Amino acid sequence: MKKLLFIILSLALFTSCERKISEYAADKGTANFSTYISIGNSLVAGYADGALYHDGQLYSCPNLIAGQLQLAGGGAFIQPMVTSNYGVAVYPGVQTKLVLGYTADCQGVVGLSPVRSVGDMEIFGNVGYAVNNFGIPGAKSFHLITPGYAQMNPYYTRFATSMTGAVVEEFGKVHPTFFTMQLGDNDVLAYALAGGSYDSITQPATFYYAMKIVLGSLLATGASGVMANIPDITSIPFFTTIPYNGLVLTRQTLADSVNYAMSLYQLPFHYVVGPNPFLVRDPASPHPYFKVRQMQPGEYVLMTVPQDSLKCKGMGIINVVTHAPYPIPDQFVLTTAEVAQIKFATDVFNNIIDTMAANHHVGLVDMNSKLKILNSQSGVVWDGIHLNAKFVTGGAFSLDGIHLTPRGNALSANYFIEAINQHFGSKIPYVDVTKYKGVVFP
Amino acid sequence: MRRITFLLLLFCFAALTSMGGGYQVGLHSTRNTGMGLIGTSLTYDASSIFYNPGGVSFIKDKWSLSGGVSLIMARVTFQGKDENYQTHLEHQLNTPFYVYASYKATDNLSIGLAVNTPYGNGLSWGDNWQGRFLIQNLKFQAITVQPTISYKFKNIIGVGVGLVWAYGSVNLNKALPLDYTGGEGQLNIKGNTIGFGFNAGVLIHPVKGFNIGIDYRSKINMDVQNANATFTVPAAVRPQFPDSKVEVSLPLPANLDFGLSYEINEKFMIGINLCYVFWKQYDSLVFNFKTKTASLGRTATAALYQNRLIPRIGFQYKVNPTVTVRLGGYYDPSPVPSDYLNPQTPSTNEIGLTAGLSVFPFKGFSIDAAFLYLMGMKRDGTYSPENFAGTYYSAFYIPAIGLSYSF
Repeated sequence: MKKLLFIILSLALFTSCERKISEYAADKGTANFSTYISIGNSLVAGYADGALYHDGQLYSCPNLIAGQLQLAGGGAFIQPMVTSNYGVAVYPGVQTKLVLGYTADCQGVVGLSPVRSVGDMEIFGNVGYAVNNFGIPGAKSFHLITPGYAQMNPYYTRFATSMTGAVVEEFGKVHPTFFTMQLGDNDVLAYALAGGSYDSITQPATFYYAMKIVLGSLLATGASGVMANIPDITSIPFFTTIPYNGLVLTRQTLADSVNYAMSLYQLPFHYVVGPNPFLVRDPASPHPYFKVRQMQPGEYVLMTVPQDSLKCKGMGIINVVTHAPYPIPDQFVLTTAEVAQIKFATDVFNNIIDTMAANHHVGLVDMNSKLKILNSQSGVVWDGIHLNAKFVTGGAFSLDGIHLTPRGNALSANYFIEAINQHFGSKIPYVDVTKYKGVVFP
Repeated sequence: MRRITFLLLLFCFAALTSMGGGYQVGLHSTRNTGMGLIGTSLTYDASSIFYNPGGVSFIKDKWSLSGGVSLIMARVTFQGKDENYQTHLEHQLNTPFYVYASYKATDNLSIGLAVNTPYGNGLSWGDNWQGRFLIQNLKFQAITVQPTISYKFKNIIGVGVGLVWAYGSVNLNKALPLDYTGGEGQLNIKGNTIGFGFNAGVLIHPVKGFNIGIDYRSKINMDVQNANATFTVPAAVRPQFPDSKVEVSLPLPANLDFGLSYEINEKFMIGINLCYVFWKQYDSLVFNFKTKTASLGRTATAALYQNRLIPRIGFQYKVNPTVTVRLGGYYDPSPVPSDYLNPQTPSTNEIGLTAGLSVFPFKGFSIDAAFLYLMGMKRDGTYSPENFAGTYYSAFYIPAIGLSYSF
């Protein structure tokens, strides 16, 4: 008896030790998360650091969303997993993912920069199972309604059930109850990534038609969901890391000799010590010998510009061998006119997405506004982590400057969850952003 | 049997940490702890040196000595806001102590010395918890030494003043969101300093059994000039985060105490206390790194504490010449605004309930024991500069033990 009392007493003591707060109670609201699928492009696929690789997929935005939906009745979320952590990229050229490493530049200066990792690349081949993640790197809106797309895009070949059908025909086969969609980015981004010199912006009519069919096929399955709009490309470090006036002259004698050389070519550009605009080609240039001009504010140099040529060969100023003006090639520059086209198309596409979401009772994730905030001076603060859209130091964007780090994906997943909770009255807990890494330093 | 239960209790509470609004510790006399931490108007023993130097000259005995220690056992639960996350404060040991000695030099003049720990904070949330980029663990303690002089006029008014010399030490760890393969960045700051202040009080004894006490303890600036900041970061960003000297400033806030006590008869005493804490003096925690880089400089972490009034009440009953029992209670409102609630000091409004006991084996000597149960109110808060939100729920179990000897 005494012993029993003793046990009860000590149990009571132990349980009274900690203060109890009732656990977070997830709730599905009016949605049904039991079979969740995600539709879209590389941002959905888990593409990061310039390649599709295993861990990138594990931390894909939809996979993180799925993990949270599982707290409110969500089922398994199957992705077409790549086994290699070196991954694979098909553009530019077939290669592995980027990592931060030390390399010597053309001046022999050793510095930190993204380099291709060394390891076994993934071999493309069909994974042979049905998937929930329909993220296809490179996919534009109309690709999803194109029959035989599996023959054109090796990433889609990996999980297509038909080599001749269209992606939209796949959705019904998995009987989804819920979807998230992030599609349409490549309809402007592909053009922007090409510096506006090849590829093209999708025609608004085509975009509307394709999005309508994609969304229609999703809704026809009986599923409900949310869709994201398209971020302005100027929120993305791929376009903002190298400033238009990134040509820094350190000495007056250098500026003087550049000014002298330019005057020989009858180019009225004036160079000073400090930052100067790069030189770009311009067919409309009024100058007699060289159709070039200096870049202007609001124009962008792409991150893929050959750094060694900028640093050592005189690209963007004067060729060190021929001493002729050496503009940055078109495909590495977005001019004012190109930026205007991209911005216009982004607005048109976002209008289409916003209207379509409203008309079909699909929740909207305003990714455009969210990335503008991320790209602002203050950035985004989450549980003591300060994130912004700066390359490497910002922590949100991966080493390709376009796709997100695991931590960036966690943030993006939370934007989706915010929209889901708002639209469906659900109570899905946010992803713990602190659990996921940003850029990994050596 | 009884001993085992006691051991179990200790095990359950094996870990002790800081308590109370902000980082002020109210445990300066086991006797007073037993009766709601009142003390400003009391003159029973040498603890008056701390509570009210004006009362020291009213201590009846030639010598009064007392010392003791409290064991603070904190239980704090945190739940992230809108995140499926819960954790508990790790259990660790915090032991504020006190030692006092007073000497009646003449009938009206007394001197005394106090050594105690009026301020401190020690907590550990663990290395991998959600708020690790704000704080992982923290140990901060101020030990004060206070030589005191007290004089009374005609057994009616006593005045006293003490010079406060404080030794403060700080040791804190936090994680940095700088990832490398197999880990993330880490910052340790460790240092110590000394500071000065004063403690002045008046005790009025208008009629027999009735005391009025007023005491002011000044602010003490703890300005650690040369703390060591040690960074563990990926090699690639090391030049941005060199180990450096760092200046850390933390004010120990001033207190204004007002107390009344009345001995209803030989056995029964009742006392109340109003304690006004000038928490507003803690505006921000400043770290000034001496080696400057683009990533390191002077950072001020906003605290924006508010001044607070703590009401207290206590009772004492002398059962017989060898046993005295005490009861008390108080309300300690949190000085921290809800949008600046930082896991470094997870402060909530608290209700304190106390009980105490003194046993006098022979005249003048007592063994004092007390227990304080401090019940925190569940509180939602955000530390806005770091966007760290959640619910905090706390309880503190504080046994105290002490010895007193007067002759």
